[in-house]
Amino acid sequence: MHRLKINGEQVEVDVRGAESLAAVLRERVGLIGTKIACERGECGACTVLVEGRATMSCIQPAALVTGDVETIEGLAEEILDLRAEFADRGAFQCGFCTPGQLVRATALLRDAAPRAGLDPEEVRHQMSGNICRCTGYQAIVAAVVDVAERRAGVDR
Amino acid sequence: MSYVGTSQRPHDWAARTDGSTLFAADLRLPALHAAVLRSPHPYADIVALDTSRAERMPGVVAVITAADFAPDAVYVHRGAPLSDRPPLARGTVRHVGQEVAAVAAETYVQAVAALAAIRVRYRPRKAPLTLAEATAPGARRLHERTTDEPNVSVLFATEWGDAATGRAHARTAVEGRFAYPSVSHACMETNTTLARWNQADGTVELWTSTQAPWFIGKEVSQLLGLEHDQVIFREVATGGGFGSKSKASEHEVLAAALARKANRPVLLSLTREEEMGANKPRHRFETWLRTSVDDDGLVRLYESDIRVDNGSYNHMGPSVMRVGAITLGSMYRPDGAVIEARLIDTATQPGGQFRGYGTPQVSLAAESQLDELADRLGLDPLEMRLRNVNREYATTLCGYDVTTARLADCLDAVRTELDWDRRRADPRPDRGVGVAAGSHGSGAYAYDLANRSDAAIDVFDDGRVRVRYGGSDAGTGQSTILAQIAADELGVDLADVEVLSMDSEQTPFELGAWSSRGTHMTGSSVGKAASEVAERLRDLARAKLGTQDVVLRDGQAVGADDAVALGDLVRLSDDAVDGVLSHETIYLLEGTEPLAPGKSTANLSPTYAYAAHGAYVEVDRRTGAVQLLDYVAAHDVGRAINPTAVEGQIAGGAVMGIGAALGEELVREGGRIINTSYLHYAMPRSADVPSVRPVIVNAHDPAGPYGAKSVGEMSIIPPGAALANAVQDAVGVRIRELPLTPDKVISALAEKEGRRRRHRIWRRPGRWWIALMRALYPLGLHHVLHHWGTRFGRGVGTGVADPESVTSLSAPDDLGTVLHEVAAGAQVIGGGSDAMVERRREAAPATVLISTRSVLALRGVRRAEDGALRIGAAVTLAELAEATRETVPVLAEAVDSIASAQIRNVATVAGNLVQEKRCWFFRNGFSCYKRNGVTSPCYAVLGDHRFQHAVIDGHRCQAVTPSDLATVLTALDARVELAAEDGRRTLTIEEFFVGPGETALRPGEVVVEIVVPAAAVRRRSAFRKLNLYTGDFATASAVISGDVDESGTWTEARLVLGAVAPVPWRAVEAEEWLCGRIAPTAAQLRKVLDRELDREAHPLPGNGWKLDAVAGLAEHVLEAVTGVRPGEGR
Repeated sequence: MHRLKINGEQVEVDVRGAESLAAVLRERVGLIGTKIACERGECGACTVLVEGRATMSCIQPAALVTGDVETIEGLAEEILDLRAEFADRGAFQCGFCTPGQLVRATALLRDAAPRAGLDPEEVRHQMSGNICRCTGYQAIVAAVVDVAERRAGVDR
Repeated sequence: MSYVGTSQRPHDWAARTDGSTLFAADLRLPALHAAVLRSPHPYADIVALDTSRAERMPGVVAVITAADFAPDAVYVHRGAPLSDRPPLARGTVRHVGQEVAAVAAETYVQAVAALAAIRVRYRPRKAPLTLAEATAPGARRLHERTTDEPNVSVLFATEWGDAATGRAHARTAVEGRFAYPSVSHACMETNTTLARWNQADGTVELWTSTQAPWFIGKEVSQLLGLEHDQVIFREVATGGGFGSKSKASEHEVLAAALARKANRPVLLSLTREEEMGANKPRHRFETWLRTSVDDDGLVRLYESDIRVDNGSYNHMGPSVMRVGAITLGSMYRPDGAVIEARLIDTATQPGGQFRGYGTPQVSLAAESQLDELADRLGLDPLEMRLRNVNREYATTLCGYDVTTARLADCLDAVRTELDWDRRRADPRPDRGVGVAAGSHGSGAYAYDLANRSDAAIDVFDDGRVRVRYGGSDAGTGQSTILAQIAADELGVDLADVEVLSMDSEQTPFELGAWSSRGTHMTGSSVGKAASEVAERLRDLARAKLGTQDVVLRDGQAVGADDAVALGDLVRLSDDAVDGVLSHETIYLLEGTEPLAPGKSTANLSPTYAYAAHGAYVEVDRRTGAVQLLDYVAAHDVGRAINPTAVEGQIAGGAVMGIGAALGEELVREGGRIINTSYLHYAMPRSADVPSVRPVIVNAHDPAGPYGAKSVGEMSIIPPGAALANAVQDAVGVRIRELPLTPDKVISALAEKEGRRRRHRIWRRPGRWWIALMRALYPLGLHHVLHHWGTRFGRGVGTGVADPESVTSLSAPDDLGTVLHEVAAGAQVIGGGSDAMVERRREAAPATVLISTRSVLALRGVRRAEDGALRIGAAVTLAELAEATRETVPVLAEAVDSIASAQIRNVATVAGNLVQEKRCWFFRNGFSCYKRNGVTSPCYAVLGDHRFQHAVIDGHRCQAVTPSDLATVLTALDARVELAAEDGRRTLTIEEFFVGPGETALRPGEVVVEIVVPAAAVRRRSAFRKLNLYTGDFATASAVISGDVDESGTWTEARLVLGAVAPVPWRAVEAEEWLCGRIAPTAAQLRKVLDRELDREAHPLPGNGWKLDAVAGLAEHVLEAVTGVRPGEGR
């Protein structure tokens, strides 16, 4: 049995061989918000945070994960502002890549917290591992930049 | 309040952003998993097919073949005689990837294992794979068709308008052949169906990713011998469609057939590889066009010969071709158009319906030529189009009755928003602007009943409202605008409106979202249903309140001095059942007409949308790279019902079109798609499209519901020509085949400037045998190796992740344990980001894996006392970048360009160095020389080798070492420390790499540290790479690292070129030249390097351009270290 801490809760899972973290989350723990779109670590739909760092869970062997895992389900409350901004700006259409985008952005926003916002170019570069086929990215970047700015304003 | 015309959040935004929205693969039915056996041959007869062994495999519950369907079962699409595609191959396969059999098993891995146990004996036939091959004299015919020409499935020849008048007024003409490649929809959710068979009533329930459930139901029912209403859809989210999910593919019927046979639920979810390699992409068009204009620049005549790659079955080819041709009869005001279009069968997967539907392809030709003509006449391209814009309320050549047409306003918006006049006059070289326009219908009367949409409204006694419609929202925002419309008609809060789609038992008839019909058809039907219910509610209120003057607002019916809640009115209604007042209605669109046999014109749509897009680009003449700086997409959408959603459709479609213009293209070898992964498919990432700005030209169209026109398809039409025109404006080369990849741009520039390289292989005996081998490949060597040699190889893995293939996976914290395990045969991995993927293609991957990530001793980056930089092998790329940003910025810079932030967070330095080659043949399942063994061919010799293969020192394998770090570390004279149980050794990095992605590591050895000597740390260095999208591997890269003394003299120099040779390649002669130089210029270095490259290189026929590109990168990096800005000092 492998012990995982997922969204703050200890879970014991019988991980099979090289089973991916994404498969474990979806099939064993029932956290289907983490999506699988390429299963090769190339698109970002499966992004979760492991020890606070954005990780492609579709190629991350679950057996090697020891730190805290955070998924969209666990983060939804923390990023209510970002989710609302995504909705207001049209930063998602079909929504399939959206959990991955939001989780990736969460790590960026946390890193940015001590600073005064995020630079759009940095957001674009840092989020280029998250493919979106619907929106053309403009609204996603704008939403992340806006929320970073707003949070910086509140924090100051 | 009024919601129509205002931006509103998607109605289900909360669920879409907290992970709770259910897509088909998220449902938790206890389902079997299905896998599909696909043809490896482009064209072959099936001599024998035996599934008996597969049926006995562990976990297998059902296997189906063509025998499980009626002997004449075919997808009907638009009906005979064009219907030609069986649900599973019957006797013959006609493309690589065609479905031959399908298996349902307890697990996906079991299903895949069973596929291997199905015995199929094929008799391959010579296959026409391209338009040229299919129409060559004596070409093998794929089908018996009704036209006289071989492999021409449909011939459409028409003359619209008055060609003679057009010809008489024509003063200037240009002609040319344009090609728009086949591209993939690449929806984030692969095509997925969950099917449940209900034995009791013989129905099948489907949860499927679709834009048009009605069509799927029609195909599934007729192929399974059921009635249409025996196929029952359930609402489920659809993860992107873009057309691909608007007609039945195969997964729907295969899942249903397997569920029936197994009598258990079955989940069939295509892999990414299947999605990109075997689904139905955009049709490739080769369009010859001649555009004739008069002296005023008015288009007078179009003459065109259009050749459409149908693929192996008709699927949607006939109508895609037709709509493509209509481009020339619907835009502008020519006197006539003479068109011949051929739909040509090739032994490749059938093309499918894709956003834009033939229009982007033909538009590329028409809008490029408009610029060529503007140039001839000395007109501004915007002015050229303004003179030609469609008139309002006029009939076009193809029979379209235009209502409003605000193309001129769109063009003006481009001029203003893009700052067209200033940027066009911008003296900065290599920057340019381009514009293109287009139009698209709002729905099309393309099928029976396509002019009808039904919708239903429920009003509950608690005041809530529900919209029911039979379509499906694949992400377009359709459901949200329907809720807005219902809320307005009924005067309720938008939050009180819910929407139910695609439930066969609850939602009324509706053909679905295709042909840009969603907004018009369902907007109209829902509006009608809601207004009819509203009238009933007002009637009830009039009776209750005793006044005629009643309005619905704020959830109430409000009279002169009293009000009553809608819920109370529901309770008063005799028609309400169980507290719900329901109303269903039919909207019938008047004034449009279907295409009929023998009739070439028709008013297909109620309204037509227009758009103009403007692009501002910078072209790097040194590398051929096209950088998009700014993009404006101005659209005449009538009235935007939900402006934010409209802007989303514009930006999304524009970026998809920009992707096809700049990088996307499905590439085949032997009929098989090579680039079946996102990695090898150059789709835009966020950083590639820094500024795409939608502009809504708001108006009101009398034909549209609430004044609206379509938008979803319109936005993908102009980008191809807009970008091609901008590149022409920037550097003066006209490229007529998309995508505008650096190879095409730099080759066109080289041709224009008369540059040529000579490599004089005859003077280099060391290259003779490679030259001989390359010469023999097309003469039969490739054929022999491919057909016979590959049979003697070690095999290739399926590409499927099998967790059980690993028996032990650990991450010990001490190096001793790692070395011990590795000595015993374990495979060492770092973060696993490459190894866990790569092993799926190995015939016999290691079963014991051991990770270095927990070995503390390998996880540090430190400066040694002597000033050297010592990098632990298990340091992640992100950690390396962090640690070197100030001290050795060239390392951080290179790391930043690698893959994605997520990968950089786990990938290790050693893992990056030892990663496998990125050759797309090697990676994507080809039985190649390196993968399968020495009797196999290198597919790159004859296949597409433009981007990823060697131009220097290529041998039997043409791949290169993919690591950017390797290139940089070579320039930094790095040493690699290796450890094994029996001791340590140190290699220079040049000794470490011995071949493409191959190292001098011995069995039992592990990389423990990389050392950059102090002298190199202190040097000035710079790195630059050319790639096809942000995060892509290098197509070419260059690093320069040098010492410059106080007098400004170079005393030490390294110039290393990446991705051009099997290992990072030092330009030794250029290095020597640099030493002793004071302020060397880029132009001087280029001269020396060109000489060296000419002497040393031995490119393949299609990748010689990389020499120019890499030399251009060398110029860039020299300027970067000397602080010269590009262009200065040339």
